[in-house]
Order: sequence, then structure tokens, then C-alpha cells
Amino acid sequence: MPNETPATTVDDIVRSRKKKQRIQFGFYLFLLGLIVWSIKATVIDDTDWDRIGSLADIGKSISHFIGIDFSLIPSLLGPTIETFMIACIGTLLGFIICIPAIWFGALNVTPFKSVTYPMARAAMTISRSIHEIVWALIFVSAVGLGAFAGILAIAARSLGFIAKMSAEAVENIDPRPVEAIRAVGGNNLQVMLYGILPQVLPIILGIVIFEWEINIRRSAVLGLVGAGGLGLVFFRQMHTFNYPGVTTVIVAIFGLVLIGEVASHYSRKALI
Amino acid sequence: MAILEVSDLRAKYSSKGPEILKGISFQVEEDDFFAIIGPSGAGKSTLIRCINRLLEPVSGTIKLHDVDVLKLGNRELRRLRRHIGMIFQEFNLINRLSVMDNVLTGRLGYVGSLRSIFRVFSNKDIQRALELLERVGLQDHVGKRADELSGGQRQRVGIARALMQEPNLLLLDEPTSALDPKISREVMDLIKTIATELKIPVLCNIHNVQLAKEYCNKIIGLQDGNKMFDGPTEVLNQANLEEIYEMEIL
Amino acid sequence: MNKSDPLRSYSIQGDNVDREWRRFKYPQTLVKYGVLLSVLVFFTYSVHYLNIPLDRIMGMFGRLGDVLANRYYPPDLGYIANQEYLDAIVETIQMAYLGALFGLLFSIVLGWFSAHNVSPSQRYIYPIARVITMGCRSVHEMIWAILFVTILGFGILPGVLALTMFSIGFAGKLFSEEIEAIDMGEVEAIRAMGGNHLQVFVYGVFPQVRTAFTGIAIYTWDVAFRAATVVGFVGAGGMGWYLKRNIMQIETHRTAAILLSIIVLVVISELFSAWARIRVSKAK
Ligand SMILES: Nc1ncnc2c1ncn2[C@@H]1O[C@H](COP(=O)(O)OP(=O)(O)OP(=O)(O)O)[C@@H](O)[C@H]1O
Ligand SMILES: [Mg+2]
Repeated sequence: MPNETPATTVDDIVRSRKKKQRIQFGFYLFLLGLIVWSIKATVIDDTDWDRIGSLADIGKSISHFIGIDFSLIPSLLGPTIETFMIACIGTLLGFIICIPAIWFGALNVTPFKSVTYPMARAAMTISRSIHEIVWALIFVSAVGLGAFAGILAIAARSLGFIAKMSAEAVENIDPRPVEAIRAVGGNNLQVMLYGILPQVLPIILGIVIFEWEINIRRSAVLGLVGAGGLGLVFFRQMHTFNYPGVTTVIVAIFGLVLIGEVASHYSRKALI
Repeated sequence: MAILEVSDLRAKYSSKGPEILKGISFQVEEDDFFAIIGPSGAGKSTLIRCINRLLEPVSGTIKLHDVDVLKLGNRELRRLRRHIGMIFQEFNLINRLSVMDNVLTGRLGYVGSLRSIFRVFSNKDIQRALELLERVGLQDHVGKRADELSGGQRQRVGIARALMQEPNLLLLDEPTSALDPKISREVMDLIKTIATELKIPVLCNIHNVQLAKEYCNKIIGLQDGNKMFDGPTEVLNQANLEEIYEMEIL
Repeated sequence: MNKSDPLRSYSIQGDNVDREWRRFKYPQTLVKYGVLLSVLVFFTYSVHYLNIPLDRIMGMFGRLGDVLANRYYPPDLGYIANQEYLDAIVETIQMAYLGALFGLLFSIVLGWFSAHNVSPSQRYIYPIARVITMGCRSVHEMIWAILFVTILGFGILPGVLALTMFSIGFAGKLFSEEIEAIDMGEVEAIRAMGGNHLQVFVYGVFPQVRTAFTGIAIYTWDVAFRAATVVGFVGAGGMGWYLKRNIMQIETHRTAAILLSIIVLVVISELFSAWARIRVSKAK
């Protein structure tokens, strides 16, 4: 009978709900405590509050940034184009060096599983764990200042993401076309060209475009470490304390990123 | 006395889109079980959704207990909605929550925001929810998650949830079309008994003409946004049906 | 692929465009080659514009390998095995965790406000919330760090704030996309019962996206941690500052050690995230 099942009396339900709420509440309290503690330990104790001063002072330093330095605009065009190009070529180069990584890093096509697979995976992890700024510094020290170091940095940083996602796409292909080609006696290369490539190419292109959009944002800061583009202008404005100029550069970056986002959206839609 | 008075209701889904309701008028009386029938795409759901303004009508008037529904501000609209129970074709339960919590959501219009965030409901509400679950025959499933139930059981939870609101009007949007014929009848029986018992008028979209004839005392027929028939169930004849559905009905 | 993955829509989109393609094969092919050609021209021009020494590229890779093997190897592990550096690591983790946490808290609200199906006000709140997330996204975390350091001085606080902005930009968009894909039936049910906007969110929206949100949160932690390793470059706390100093002083063996520690930490963090993601998807 329903009355005998323990969970159906009102008291029981009320009690179990209360208990659940108490646990939930305790959990939230614990979380809150943890947050407060880390804020205290890191932010409050560590910060030089005298340097920051009052809220009014903060307001004042923010107000420096308000405004646009119109005289800077003509000289922004070159760096903007440069940033854009670094992103484009960097992505392309990243994609090219990606191809072996995808091939080695997808379990179903990797040639010598025990050697090539871990190799590719390690390359992907290293590429993704090192921030673009660090990559740029490494390349600046290797090939000198300029756009080329930026391109290499973008390529190195893109490899991981493109290769990881693409390898996943290759692993998730529909195996039937592959079997069909094997069945008619195709060799490995033919399998790859006719069985796998047509399936994954649109997906990989989509991933590349997605990464390209992110790379625009990245290439805009590489100038901070001497790798050309808008970041360099930003750095100079910062050093000469031309704060409206800083805002101007940020607006330019914003515009470029916006263009990239729109272009990426439509080209991904138009993709095959 | 008319509980719900709809006159010359027009509705669109987008300002440039086609008119879906083209001037609908009807009245629901105190103990009506009122059916809206019509072919798919006629605008039945649209009409129901206009009554509690889930969709804003373009023009016309809706009067519920002499309150002009279309003139209400946001807050008053929410106040009004909490007295209108609604039961959906796809049940629309919160799948991740327990049956009990789902029924308790019927009280949301009555509890404060802060309490509802932490799912704090009064003992009285819980008591009532349990009674209603017993009433719809789900006393053994109180603690289950809503997505562990069968279709018929889910719709029963939907009914309990609507009743939890203490409604003075029930809107049903094809409550049985996702259920098999036998369960459909059980659900309709349940709704009918409860509605009669609590004296709640019901406005019901229904696909199945047979069910409409069996359970409802009044029927309006829609076709392509126009009202083609309005009258007591007994009057509805073959010719009317053929006109509504634009086809021969065997 | 994970449900919260930003790329998951591709294959779906691909299918329905495909049919149109075959029907208009001739002009479409023309457009395709036109686009391809102009992209090629653009690339060639860019290479020229940026003065890239194409002929030296191949040799460059060899030299790069040489540099890495001789100058960066072996990493000076002694340098990083001290209390000071460990403190910097802890600081980095704290920074990433606070930044991701604050960012996520804001993103939940912003994601809700900038999802056009459930935004409390489509006319005002929706566009404002969109612009805020968009703004946070467009500006790179390093620029946020520089700005906050300028305003607040050196320390962890500007780092945390920069990572907060970064996480808002990252998670806010993913959250709102997730919310825009929910089943509106549950939302409608809560609305029909007289629930207010908050109740609609808590009951109609949140239960549906909770799992996806957790996945996105883990993902956000991953990227925030990576960003945290470098915001120190501009004085915003953490191990980035060590990195910068050693790179500037061409202490390549020490740099290699630091990079190694970063990679190890990222791998640990990623393993942890992968484990957490599996737990979440199992718990549902
Ligand atoms: N959200 C929407 N946006 C735009 N048009 C809609 C929307 N919902 C319904 N419509 C259109 O409104 C018309 C009426 O739809 P409605 O759902 O009211 O029909 P119905 O009579 O309930 O049909 P069914 O019996 O299939 O449920 C249809 O032509 C439909 O295409
Ligand atoms: Mg309908």
C-alpha cells in the first residue's frame, strides 16, 4: 500500500528536503568561505593599497584613458594590415605544419602507433601549453625582431588546437567509405585521399577558420614583445603615457577582431 | 455568466509575418469544458497561447473575470497567470527535477524569488503537492526524476502542477496527443473529474474529434485562423466537420 | 566531441548546404576557384609586404632545432627548485582560480542576459550584455593585464582582474550559445505559471544547461590557467615575471626549466579537467 512506503508522508518529505537544503546551504557557505579566504590571501594582503589610493584616484587614472587620439589614426593603418597579415600567414603556416601532426595524431591513421602517436600528442600539448607571448619571445630570440617571429609564434601556437580538433575529426569519420576503398584494393595513400580527406576537409577548414579568428586577437598583442603589428604601437603609446592613444589602438584592435569574427562566421557558413 | 470573453482576436508571430488568427471571438462560461478543434496549423495553439499572453496578440480583447488581460502590466500579468493552469502537449516538465519539485513549481507565482532559488516551499505547499500527487495516482513516484516517468505519468505530473496553482481557468494544449488512446482517455477522465469537482472552466485544444465530442460541452472549430463553427457539442454535425477540416470525414 | 565544444555545429551546418551546392554546381565552382585564387594572391602579397625571407625558411627550422638543442637543453632544474618559485606557482594557480571563478560568476549572468530567447529585456539588456561580452573577448588578456597594472600597480589584483575579463569573454559567449539552444517548452511552462524572470532562469533554463555549464567552466579554468602563466610578464603576478626576466637576460637553460614547469602544470591541469569532465558527464 502507498501509505506504507516511507517516503510518502509529508513529514518525511519535509525532513528530507530540509536535510538536502541544509547540505546545499553548507556547501554554498563553504564555497563562499573558500572564495573569501583566497581573496584575502592573494588580493587584499598582496596588493599595495597605498599605491592604488582611494576610489577617486582609480577613477582619475581610468579617466586618462577616455578619448581618442585622432592624430594617431593615419599611422595605424600599416600596423593594422600587418597584424591582419601575420594572423593570416601564421594560421596558414600553422595549418601546413599541422598536417603531419594530424596524420600522426589520429589513432585510426597513425603509421607507427607506438612511436608517432605519442610524438604528435606531445607536440600538440607543448604547442597549446605555451602561451603565444612566450612563443613570440622564443622566436624573437631565434630569428630576430619583426613580423616573421610573430608568424612563427602564431603558427606554433595554432598547431596544437588545429591538430587536436582535426585528429578528433579524423578519428570520428564514417568508416564505410574507407572500407569500400580498401575493398577495391586501394593502398594507404588512396584510402587517405579518397576515403578520409573528403570527409574531414570541410571540418578541418572550419577549425582553421575558427583558429584564424582567434589568431587575429593574438597577433594584435605580439608586438608587445617585438613581433610587429598593432601591439608595437600599443606598447609605444603606453610608454609615452599617451593614454588616449592607447584607447585608439584598442578601438582599432576591436574593429579588426570584429571584422574577423564576421568574416569567420560567414565563411564557416559558406563552407561546402 | 461568461468567465472568459475573447473578441476579435488577431495574432502574428512576427510583425511582417502572416496573420495566424484572423479575428476570433468566443465566450467560455462558468462550467464549460470548451474544445477548440481544427486541422494542424489552424492556429489552435496560437489561440491558447494568446489567452495568457505567452504570445502577444496584435489586437482584440480578452476578458477574464472582467479583467482586461491585454491591458495588464508585467507584474499584474504574472499575478494573473498564476491563476491560469496550463497543460502542454509535450508536458514541459523540468526534466532534471524530481516529481515533487515539479509539482511545487506550480507555486512559483506565490513564493518570493529568494525562497524559490533555494527551493524552499512551505509545509502546507508540500502537503498539498502530496495530496495532488495522490489524487493523480503518482504517490509512489514522488522522489523520482521527471524524465524517469512514462508519458502518461508525466502528463499526470503536469496536471498536478497546474492544480497546484489553484487555477480558476485551465488551458490545455492538446494534452493527450503524445499519449496512446487508452492513456489519453484516462488523462481526459482525470481532468474532467477534477475540473467538475473544483468547478474550474477548461479551454482545451484537441486533435481528436471523438474525444472532443465525448468530453466537451462546447466546441469551436478553427480553420486557417478563422472560426468556422461555434456551438454546443450536440449541434456539431458531419457537414460542420467537413467544412472545418476541408475534407471528407468518414 | 564534448557538448560544450564551440565547434560542434560544423558538421550539422555542412549537411544542408551540401544539397544546394550540387544543384548550382557550375557557378559555385567558379566562385570557389575565384575565392581560392584571391586568397592565394593575398597570401603572396602578404609574404612580400612583410618581407618574409622565404628562401631562408627551411634553413630556419634547422637552426631553430639547433638553438633548442644546444642553448635550451638541458633545462636548469635547480633554478626552479626553490621556495620562491614554488610560491610563484601557487600564486599563478590562485590567480587563475580566482579569475576564472569571478569570470564565471559574471558570465552566468551575462550569458543569461545575452541569450536572446530568455533575456529579461530584448531591447535594452540584451544588446548591452552582448557588447560587454564582445568587448571582453576582443581585448587580449595581456592588454587587460597592462591596463589593470597601469591603473592599480603591480601585484596579483590586476592579474586576477585581467583573467576575470578574459574568462567573461571566453565563457560568456559559450554560456549564451548554450542557453539559446535549450528547449523553450520548460521556459514557457514557468512563464505560464506566473514565474518572474529570475524564476524562469532558475527553473526553466538552469537545470537544462547545468551539465554544459560545468563543462564550459572546466574549459575556462584550463584557458585561464594558461593565460595566468604569462600575465606576470607585465607585472600582474605569478610565474610570468620569472619567465620574462630570464628570457630578457638570455638565460636559456633557466627559461627552458620554467617552460618545462609550465608544460608539466598544464598537463596536470588538463588531466584533472579531463577527469572532472568525465565525472560530470557521468553524473548528468
Ligand atoms: N513560433 C512560431 N513562429 C512563427 N510561426 C509560427 C510559430 N508557431 C506556429 N506558427 C505558425 O502559426 C500557424 C498556426 O500554428 P499553431 O501551432 O497555432 O497550429 P495548431 O493549430 O496548434 O496546429 P497543431 O494541431 O499542429 O498543433 C502555423 O502556420 C505555424 O506555421
Ligand atoms: Mg498546436
